[in-house]
Amino acid sequence: MLFIYIKRIFIGFYSLLKGFKVTFKNLLKKPVTLNYPVVKQPMKERFRGMVDLYPDKCVICYQCIKICPTAALDLGHKTLEDNKTKNITKFTFNAELCCFCGLCDEICPTEAIFLNQMYEVSYFDHKDLIKIDLMSPEKYKNVDGGTS
Amino acid sequence: MIPMLLSGLAAIGFIAFSAMFLIWLERKISAWIQNRMGPMMTGFHGTLQPIADTIKLLLKEDIVPKGVDFLSWWLAPFFVTVPVVMAFLVIPFSPKWIALDLNVGVVYICSVTSLCVLGIFMAGWGSNNKYSLLGGMRSAAQIISYEVPLLLSVLLVVMEAGTLSMQGIIHAQSHGWFILKPHLTLAFLIYFISATAEVNRVPFDIPEAESELVAGYHTEYSGMKFAMFFVAEYTNMFIISAIATTLFLGGWQGPWLPGVVWFLLKSYGVIVLLMWMRWTLPRVRMDQMMSFAWKVLTPIALLNILISGWFMVK
Amino acid sequence: MGDLVTINMGPQHPSTHGVLYLELQLDGEVVVGCKTHLGYLHRSIEKIAENRTYTQFIPFTDRLDYLASMNNNLGYCLAVEKLLNVAVTPRAQYLRVIIAELNRVVSHLVAIGTFAQDLGAYATPLFYAFSDREKIVELFDSICGSRLTYNYMRIGGVSGDIPAGTEQVIKDFIKYERKQLIEYNELLTYNAIFLARSKNIGILSKEAAINYSVTGPILRASGVKWDLRKEEPYLVYDQFNFDIPVGTVGDSWDRFKVKLDEIEQSLRIIEQAIGAIPEGNPVSKVNRVFRGTGEIYLRTENPRGELGFYLVAEGGFNPTRCKIRSPSFSNLSALEELIKGLNISDAVCVLGSLDIVMGEIDR
Repeated sequence: MLFIYIKRIFIGFYSLLKGFKVTFKNLLKKPVTLNYPVVKQPMKERFRGMVDLYPDKCVICYQCIKICPTAALDLGHKTLEDNKTKNITKFTFNAELCCFCGLCDEICPTEAIFLNQMYEVSYFDHKDLIKIDLMSPEKYKNVDGGTS
Repeated sequence: MIPMLLSGLAAIGFIAFSAMFLIWLERKISAWIQNRMGPMMTGFHGTLQPIADTIKLLLKEDIVPKGVDFLSWWLAPFFVTVPVVMAFLVIPFSPKWIALDLNVGVVYICSVTSLCVLGIFMAGWGSNNKYSLLGGMRSAAQIISYEVPLLLSVLLVVMEAGTLSMQGIIHAQSHGWFILKPHLTLAFLIYFISATAEVNRVPFDIPEAESELVAGYHTEYSGMKFAMFFVAEYTNMFIISAIATTLFLGGWQGPWLPGVVWFLLKSYGVIVLLMWMRWTLPRVRMDQMMSFAWKVLTPIALLNILISGWFMVK
Repeated sequence: MGDLVTINMGPQHPSTHGVLYLELQLDGEVVVGCKTHLGYLHRSIEKIAENRTYTQFIPFTDRLDYLASMNNNLGYCLAVEKLLNVAVTPRAQYLRVIIAELNRVVSHLVAIGTFAQDLGAYATPLFYAFSDREKIVELFDSICGSRLTYNYMRIGGVSGDIPAGTEQVIKDFIKYERKQLIEYNELLTYNAIFLARSKNIGILSKEAAINYSVTGPILRASGVKWDLRKEEPYLVYDQFNFDIPVGTVGDSWDRFKVKLDEIEQSLRIIEQAIGAIPEGNPVSKVNRVFRGTGEIYLRTENPRGELGFYLVAEGGFNPTRCKIRSPSFSNLSALEELIKGLNISDAVCVLGSLDIVMGEIDR
């Protein structure tokens, strides 16, 4: 009876020591994390960052507007007098509604709209976030640490 | 008068510095164990991180929740911190560096360190928060129970050394550390476990059990009051390691290096062991912890005293 | 019996796994009554489904059980495919099995890590689990471009074929993870404190488990050998060899151990699938418009249990009704009975072992 009691205590201590062994082994390993603001990990090729646009490629087919599950994109156009050429009047992107699903990227027939590699997307002003003009070449200039 | 004041200031300075170093060390060791890097940005490998933390805590708003028991809420941080400073009175850093070599040093330090349960319980009661109250209750039960095996293991050292003075115990170890004797190895184990419980460290951190009681007794404290609890926790850790060093590891004795270096090396070694333990083990439950104290540690300590006392008398 | 103390555990509490709110009646530290309040994360996903086309709803399924997005995608896509009679190429089916099993491993790793955290093992097992998880998440990132809300499955296939070299990465991961499983056993499973904390705590009997319609690892921990991958094989699960780990008692430890064993079984499935993956084109284009009529209920085995989608279509581009049977919701219903009479530490332990995800409970 007493022997079993003592044996149980010993087995208990032994099992704890095994845990110590595991943590000690990991203590000697190299860290798996990066020293983030100094060292940055390159994003994967298919990474889905902010929505971006090549304005020249866009054919104004409205596919992206229709597929967007959260209605984060807003497109307007006007037809010129010759009834053929269309011009984009506005193409804005609401980053607050966006769920970064990438459906617009997939559906675009000319690959005009795409999701870029930006991941540090903090803004100083809320207004900048809800109406990003995708036609402007400097759309992501205000973004913290990002270059579009 | 002035030397006493100076030594008091030196003690407080040492406490602040040591707590800061320990906080940095804890964060680093936890990071290494978890394959992380820990603080890296402030200073070389984050060495200035505790200072940044202190500045942050100093500048923080001191929130007083509604319906606190004013006196106990305000006094609790002091009741936790003051015994910690008092304990430094008898810690022998080197043959010369001891503020007061009391002839009852061991009794003094054991009684003073167990005072902080009062502060913890006051914090738990005064916060007007049920989680804090549960934490305070748990803490009171825990610290009082673990006092018994702790004192019993210390008693064996006193029996072996034949003195209650801290310096006297170190002198008694000049022919070999006490931990090397088998019955005192067992006593060291008991002391180590109960001291871990005494300072609320994992696996006995149930008073502040994060996943159960949010933060236990200091849930409602913020700013500098929280910092005082924090400093007291880490300094308590240093004190129990210092006691372990004095009683079992030969104190400041050691070749080549000066005594104070040996003392600090040994103490911080024990602390690293405590930290390693914290980042490895899960937490025990309240009733398991109590039954461990009363059904395992206390009987073993008593038997140990009985058997080795019989050998000593013979 | 003294006065009872009411404690509000949550919605902000370190161990309620999200915004669960438990109203606990305590006698000392013993829980005598428990009331669960839900709805802090309600986003009316079922209603959203009625206003979106079939493809548009896929990103929303990511947000149900956010730790197993791939499995949710899979469940929804399978339901829609069966409703609208869409064919899937064999390569896509194999890819789906591999991806779904990898996500099961991820989900169980998080469950193990957080359970250990609930028992007070300060963050260390959690970080080990997360660094294992990171390897798969990175892989998913390279496959579909996102790290948490994957949106990878499409109706009739997947969004993109796996990039070159993925097979080797998965093979390496299997080898690595087998080694890690031994480490978890040493660090946690047979640790004396861990055993003392979780053995015989919160025993859910076989009958009670069935009565509460508990599913998944929690049902299997109670000793019921029920796994939809075996009972009603969907995709190509009938072609693989794997066991169903079952527990003996139905306590918290069994629930933990079953999850750990299921990781091993998932690795076995992935190993077999990766060797037998056929050539072909798995990609299904988004710009196809789906419409049809009928109704369907289809359930799949999610990491946390049976995920069911009930869809009614009446010819439009949208389903007219979408009901989601989420596993965590049923699993949570057993909590109130389980934690009565335990003390507060054990209540946390039981809640952790039930492994709930609030996104799925509130929907």
